[in-house]
Amino acid sequence: MNMTFELSYEGKKRLVIGGVLAAIAAWIAVDAMAGGAEHWARVFVRLPLLLTGQGDGWPITGGFALNILLSIASMAVATVLGTLLGISTLAQSPYLRLPAFFIMNFLRNSPWLVLLFAMLFILPFQVEVFGLRIPFPPFVKAVIGLALPTAANLSEVVRGAVQSIHSGQWEAARALGYTTPQIYRHVILPQALRRMIPGWMNLYALLTIATALATVTGIQDVLTILNTSLAMESERVLVYFYLTTLFLFFAYCYPIAIFARRLERAVKGDNI
Amino acid sequence: MKRSEALIEIDNIHKSFGDFEVLKGISLSVNEGEAVCIIGPSGSGKSTVLRCINGLLPIDEGFIRVGNHRVHELRSEKEMRPLRHQVSMVFQQYNLFPHKTALENIMMAPIQVLGHERAEVEDRARKLLEKVRLGNKADSYPGMLSGGQQQRVAIARALAMQPEVILFDEVTAALDPETVKEVLLTIRELVDDGLTCILVTHEMKFAREVADRVCFTDRGLIVENAPPADLFDNPQDPRTREFLGQVL
Repeated sequence: MNMTFELSYEGKKRLVIGGVLAAIAAWIAVDAMAGGAEHWARVFVRLPLLLTGQGDGWPITGGFALNILLSIASMAVATVLGTLLGISTLAQSPYLRLPAFFIMNFLRNSPWLVLLFAMLFILPFQVEVFGLRIPFPPFVKAVIGLALPTAANLSEVVRGAVQSIHSGQWEAARALGYTTPQIYRHVILPQALRRMIPGWMNLYALLTIATALATVTGIQDVLTILNTSLAMESERVLVYFYLTTLFLFFAYCYPIAIFARRLERAVKGDNI
Repeated sequence: MKRSEALIEIDNIHKSFGDFEVLKGISLSVNEGEAVCIIGPSGSGKSTVLRCINGLLPIDEGFIRVGNHRVHELRSEKEMRPLRHQVSMVFQQYNLFPHKTALENIMMAPIQVLGHERAEVEDRARKLLEKVRLGNKADSYPGMLSGGQQQRVAIARALAMQPEVILFDEVTAALDPETVKEVLLTIRELVDDGLTCILVTHEMKFAREVADRVCFTDRGLIVENAPPADLFDNPQDPRTREFLGQVL
C-alpha cells in the first residue's frame, strides 16, 4: 500500500514547532533529573525578587515590573516625540524639515547603549526652574535615553503612515478651508493612526527588550538585581536565573509581536 | 457683459508643472447663477483651471478674482479660508473622509472651519442628505456606499459650506454608467436652483442640456467659448470640430 502524507505549510510549521518544544521539554526533564531540579527550586524561591525587586514580592520596588514600567513610560514619551518628529520631516518649510531630518537620522543611527550613557552624563542630577527643583533620578534618565531612539524609529512609522493616505484627502480638506494643523488633526492622523498600530507595537516589543540596557543607569531593574542581589548564588545556578529572565522577556514580548503581525495583516486588506 | 460685474474673473493665467506649461493664458468670466461647462481632450488643462480658481494650485502669472477675493494674491491657507467658504469643490474620486459617516462628512467643515453651531449644522446636513436623496444613509460610512452615492454625499458636503460657486471636476468620470444619471440629476437641480457652477465634464449631452455656456479647451488655451447650441451645432474652430467629431 502506498501511503503518502501530504502536509500543508501550516501543518509542517506546527510539526516543527512541536518538535522544538518537545526537545526543550525533554532537555529540561533530563537536566532536572541530573540535579537541575535543585537549581530550579532556588530560582523559584527567588522569583518574587526577580519580578518585583522584593523578596516577598511586595511592595514593588524594581525587578521585571520596573522594566515594564520603564517600557511604558518610554513608549509614552516616544509616541509624542515620534509623532511630532515624523510630521516635522514632512513639513513644507525647510527650517522645520531639515533639522527634524537630521535629528531623526542621528538618533536612528546611534547605538541605544551609547545614548543611554550619554543621557546619564548629559542630563543634570536636577534642574532648577523658578526656584522649583526638578530632580532627574536615574529612572527619568533611563526613560529619556530609551525614548529618544524609539521616537526616531517611530517617526519613520508615522511618516510612512501619513504618506500612505491618499493625496485626495489633503485636497478635499484644503478645498473645505482646513489649515494644515487642522488637516492633520481631523483628517490625516485619525486615518494614519490605525495604520501605525502594527509598527508601533513592534517598536514597543523592541523597546521592552532594550529596557535591559537601562541597568547601566543603576535602576533596580531585573538585570541589576541579577547582577547584585543574586551575585552570591553559585555560578551554576545563575545560568538558571538568566534562562528564567530570558523567558520573562520572551513571554511578555512574543504575544505582542504576534498580535502586531496579525493586525498588520488585517490593516493591509482594507483601504481605510 | 461688463467684466467687473462678473462673479468670477480669470485673466490670462499661466501655470507650469516643471517644464510643461499646462495653462498658456486662459481668460474666462462667469456671471452669478451661470453654469459653465469646460470640455476638451485630456491633458488640456481643464482640471488645472478649476484648482487655480479656488487656490488649490498657485498660478505663475495672471489674475483671478472670485467675488471680492483676488485669488492670485492670497498666500496662506488661512487667507484662503474666506475664499474656500465661497467656492466649494467636488472631485472625481469623491475624496470623502473614510473614517467619518456620511452625516459627519457633511457636518465637519461647517463646524470646524466656519465655526457654525452644531445643532444648526446637523439640521442643515440632514436636509442636504434629503436633497441628494440619501436621507436614509446618514450613518453609513463612505466604504458602504456606492460610487454614485458617495459622489452625492460629496456634493452635499460641498453645499453644506453654503458656497456661491461649486466647481465640479469630472465628477462622473469614475462612476458606473448606471449611477452617472443620479449624480447628473442632482447637479441639474443645483443649476436650476441658480447656483453658479463650473463643470469640467466628458458628458457632452449633459453639457449641452445644462450649461449656459460651454468652453472648449485644447493645449492650455480656451479655443472656443459659446452657448452650447452654437458650440455643438456650429463649431467655429477646426480643433473644436475635430474633438466633437471624435466624441459625439
